[in-house]
Amino acid sequence: MKLKLIHLFSIVTLAGVLLYGIPMQAHAAKIRVVTTLTDLADFTREVGGDLVEVHSLATGVEDTHGVPMKPSFVPIMNRADLLVLVGFDCEHAFLPALLEASKNPRIQLGKSGYVDASKGIVPKDVPKSTDHYQGDVHPYGNPHYMLDPVLAKTAIGNIYNALVEFAPQHQMELTRNRDAYLAKLDAKIAEWKKEIIPLKGVKFVSYHEHWTYFAERFGMVYFGTIELKPGIDPTPRHIEELIASMKAEHVSIVLREPQFPEKVPRQIAEQTGATLVTLPIMPGGIPNTETYIKMEDEIIRGLLAAQQARKTAHAMK
Amino acid sequence: MRTIIALVFLFVFSSCAFAQTTEERLENLEKTLKKQEQTIQELKALQKTVKKQEQTIDEQRKLIEKLTAKTQKPQPSAAVSTAPTAQAASTEKVQHEVEELKDQVNSVLEAQQKKLPSEFNPAIGVVGETIFSYRNKGSNATGSDRPGGWDVNQRSVELNIAASVDPFAKGYAVLNASADPITGEATLGVEEAAIQTTSLPCNLELKAGRFFGEFGRLAYIHDHELPFVNRPMVLDQYIGGESRTDGAQLNYLLPIEHYVSLTMGVGDGFGSAPNDINDNSNGNFRNFGGLSFFGRGSTSFDLTPDLSLEPGISGLLNPETINRGGVLALPNGDPVTLPQFPGSRLSQTGRSLEGVDLTLSWKPLQNNQFKSIIWGTEVLRSDSSFDVMPTTGGAAFSPFSQSVESYGMYSYLTYKWSREWSAGFLFECMEDSWNNADKTVAYSPYITWATSHWNQLRLQYTHTDHNAVSGLRPDDAVYLQWAWIIGSHAHGWQQR
Repeated sequence: MKLKLIHLFSIVTLAGVLLYGIPMQAHAAKIRVVTTLTDLADFTREVGGDLVEVHSLATGVEDTHGVPMKPSFVPIMNRADLLVLVGFDCEHAFLPALLEASKNPRIQLGKSGYVDASKGIVPKDVPKSTDHYQGDVHPYGNPHYMLDPVLAKTAIGNIYNALVEFAPQHQMELTRNRDAYLAKLDAKIAEWKKEIIPLKGVKFVSYHEHWTYFAERFGMVYFGTIELKPGIDPTPRHIEELIASMKAEHVSIVLREPQFPEKVPRQIAEQTGATLVTLPIMPGGIPNTETYIKMEDEIIRGLLAAQQARKTAHAMK
Repeated sequence: MRTIIALVFLFVFSSCAFAQTTEERLENLEKTLKKQEQTIQELKALQKTVKKQEQTIDEQRKLIEKLTAKTQKPQPSAAVSTAPTAQAASTEKVQHEVEELKDQVNSVLEAQQKKLPSEFNPAIGVVGETIFSYRNKGSNATGSDRPGGWDVNQRSVELNIAASVDPFAKGYAVLNASADPITGEATLGVEEAAIQTTSLPCNLELKAGRFFGEFGRLAYIHDHELPFVNRPMVLDQYIGGESRTDGAQLNYLLPIEHYVSLTMGVGDGFGSAPNDINDNSNGNFRNFGGLSFFGRGSTSFDLTPDLSLEPGISGLLNPETINRGGVLALPNGDPVTLPQFPGSRLSQTGRSLEGVDLTLSWKPLQNNQFKSIIWGTEVLRSDSSFDVMPTTGGAAFSPFSQSVESYGMYSYLTYKWSREWSAGFLFECMEDSWNNADKTVAYSPYITWATSHWNQLRLQYTHTDHNAVSGLRPDDAVYLQWAWIIGSHAHGWQQR
């Protein structure tokens, strides 16, 4: 038995010594950034330019609260200089465990590499209680502010600050990149605000409560969610009540995020006469939405098309 | 007359007494009024402060907008050509001022954000788990620690507490009130209580205290987190249930681009039985080999974006357990006996365990919360050495030592087709760790309905078959498990 013990120690020690000597791939001098979602990755690429190497944990098609915890994420996070996250507990289902597994002290909560993009944003829907009768409620408020392009600018500012803090020698380049992107985004915001005028006051429902900030920014009316509560599937009674109230209030659009099944949203749309539209919640969620700007373009185009379809259907009746 | 005079005196004095009380009351009322006036004044002052803060925010916002507009406003070309350096310096100064003001506004906004009343408390959660069951044979025929027939078992009530200890470590504790299988009485015990570093260099992480040591895939997962109702037989017998140990564990993430995790640990015992220490008193001395040593290595391969394979190997060594394991007993408390020596008693002297595990997961990225397939398999080899001793009234023979090599495994497949529903099939087979001729096979289909993350019902049917050597009989059982969680519940790395 003693021999066995000695053998066990020898093998592990030898393996440790050998493996520790394996050279890591050289990463030039790029700032290695891991983002949880694809919108943050897009912003980081825009601001960081050639100075950064960005990896997003999500590809765009995932639920923002349900990115699978893949072991392959761990080495990427282990080497990261910065971790950019949405904040407001948006990533509670996967990020804390991945952070622990990453064994990277630089990006842990409270360290300068932990970049909370929500800093400075006043959250909406902050619950009075975090009791689970309200479902999988976010204790710090609704975390889906990124769909509002004006608030996204705050996130961009936070990413910029973190990059400058990490690499002050590149401040000029980073400032130039940020200003150029913000100018582009401001121009698009002005364009989107004009485009969306016909949708002012238009009522819509969605599967999950992703659209609070977006609706307020663009003057739409967010009527409710298909989910009973965040993270809780709808019950037949809830669907029945939702259909009745949607009919009474003339809700014209059922917005389905691609992460959720189509069956119930389609059923609700059919029974209320609303138009069903599938729209992304982050870049890459549906085709032709690789960047944040393309995604917002697609969202506004999709909503306008849905409203038009509804009007045409009414006219034909 | 005397009575009348006495009554008059009584009336006069009592009136004085009442008068004094009324005065006191008035004084008290005046004091209360003054206090209320003070409170109103304080509230008014507070309102003024809030208004001032709001005004400050508005002013700062306006100033930012004004300054931002200034910075974005194109300068006349003549000025650019005449004084470019001065203009650049001025722009930089204004930008700096804007940034400073933004920081000020953000800090005011952050200060005004709603704070949770429980934010200074550790994360606290409670897990409850009740098992309703029917088993068609009694415990003598099944060898189980639960009775046959109808049974209700409050298997656990767990209190989970976790928080950061300081910037360098976190701590957690799991207190469990488990029902005694024989008496049914719940006793509170510390299932886990450990400290874990969060910022060691060189990809290291150290854990110490009482915890579930890393061994295999399901041994260090709590009962209510298992994909089926009962812990696989092979983990129950070879490890002794959950891989609980009092000791230390060092985890190392290899600094390469592929995920490889190595863990080594040492502890006083491993699993709840049979190697828990029960005799280190009376001057006994323990050699280094008297401790338990365990380790695990695991890796992962993303075969496609939706499909991943996670293999792992584990080892456990108890080089010397003389005078520690004591007499081996069956789960129902009966001492273990070698069939060829009726009445004999077995005492564990050492054991080693090796395990190989494999998990294949299909989790479509787009709707992994609604659809998934997980196939998990673990094979264990047990090398158990023990002394066989005669007992009075039993067979007569000289004590001897014996070593037994046994194998056991379990394999399960779980298919999830909606956020609420999943079903699966578990197959198990095992050789007894002290008599490898004693073989058991079992299979269990199960279906789970999770109304939410925190409320789950599971129905499972289990058929268990023993061979003739065991002396036990085949049996059928139906289980209904109801598990619930209140409060905080972390999604740990191990439960992925």
